[in-house]
Amino acid sequence: MDVSDLKEKWTGWAFDEASFEVDASELVEFAVACGETLPRYTDPSHSDFQAAPSYASRFHGRKQLPEGFPMMREKSFDGGKTVEWKAPIRAGDTLVARSHIHDIFEKTGRSGGMMFVVHRMEFTNQDDLLVAIVDWKMIQQLG
Amino acid sequence: MILDLHSHSIVSDDGRAKVENYCQWIRRKALPLDGLVLTEHRLYDDASDYRPLEDEFELLILKASEVETDYGHVLVFGVNDDLRAAFDFGEIGLSLARVVEESDRCGAIAIPCHPGRTRVGMCAHVAERGQVEGVRVIETLNGGSRGQENDEALALADRLEYHKIGGSDSHIVSHIGRCATRLEAKVRNMSELVAALRDGHCEAVAWTEDEWTSQT
Repeated sequence: MDVSDLKEKWTGWAFDEASFEVDASELVEFAVACGETLPRYTDPSHSDFQAAPSYASRFHGRKQLPEGFPMMREKSFDGGKTVEWKAPIRAGDTLVARSHIHDIFEKTGRSGGMMFVVHRMEFTNQDDLLVAIVDWKMIQQLG
Repeated sequence: MILDLHSHSIVSDDGRAKVENYCQWIRRKALPLDGLVLTEHRLYDDASDYRPLEDEFELLILKASEVETDYGHVLVFGVNDDLRAAFDFGEIGLSLARVVEESDRCGAIAIPCHPGRTRVGMCAHVAERGQVEGVRVIETLNGGSRGQENDEALALADRLEYHKIGGSDSHIVSHIGRCATRLEAKVRNMSELVAALRDGHCEAVAWTEDEWTSQT
């Protein structure tokens, strides 16, 4: 499997879109679970009530990967998520998340060669404002 | 002069530290470190300009690379356009012999790092396939090493008469300066650092109990 070929073929185009309603009680639940104590994340009556910064990480789309993407599930594991906060997510918002493969690269570590696939979800709200970018790394062991 | 010769910022795919936060940490903890080198994974970071941070924090901040070869990971100091044209920094199966040779040709120096580490360190590869000509310096103190990995690296360096350097291999702020390199003379830029390393005017040191301790 040639990573540069994969990268050329599969990165940069949207393969999934999903929408989500943002509910106040779920914002509170998430913030408390994260250990947040600031009222603006935990108290819906706060004048600046909004989602905790990593909130967008809780969503997933309908597809993990584009149809036909050659990933060997039995050799793969989750490499974690990175959330880039762009603007507040608030109760009552309707978010649209569009997914694309942002990057594919290889590296070597103690466990040998690995291929990283970065699934990027870009979240916009009802005003088409970008509120968060979530990069989800999926790792496949090579060889 | 003491420099941490192995660190990663958010420019690396697995780096979690901003360079500014490294600087703040060094000053807040009063670490007697004169600077650091960003050795980003599989790339050379052209875009970042750390000169304002150098001025603000009075630290030397230099840029290098960590590439991946058939003998494990290798730090490359003195990256320039010629060297970047010589091989693809993003490739994970580079030939160490070629990286060393091209680095020499382009006025840089290639230094295998964390040699004692499984798969990505050169010790096991040397044992299996022999030493690589042209290697003069290896990283014998790595802040991310486990168990006996640094001891194995030191033994290899002693056996093959390599010069030794140290680096934290930090990916998060609080790890900066765990290990470093003491240079005999002050260096002001990458050219002077490369010259010092080529001449072997360096020593691996670890930060333990509020002082720098020589590995040897």
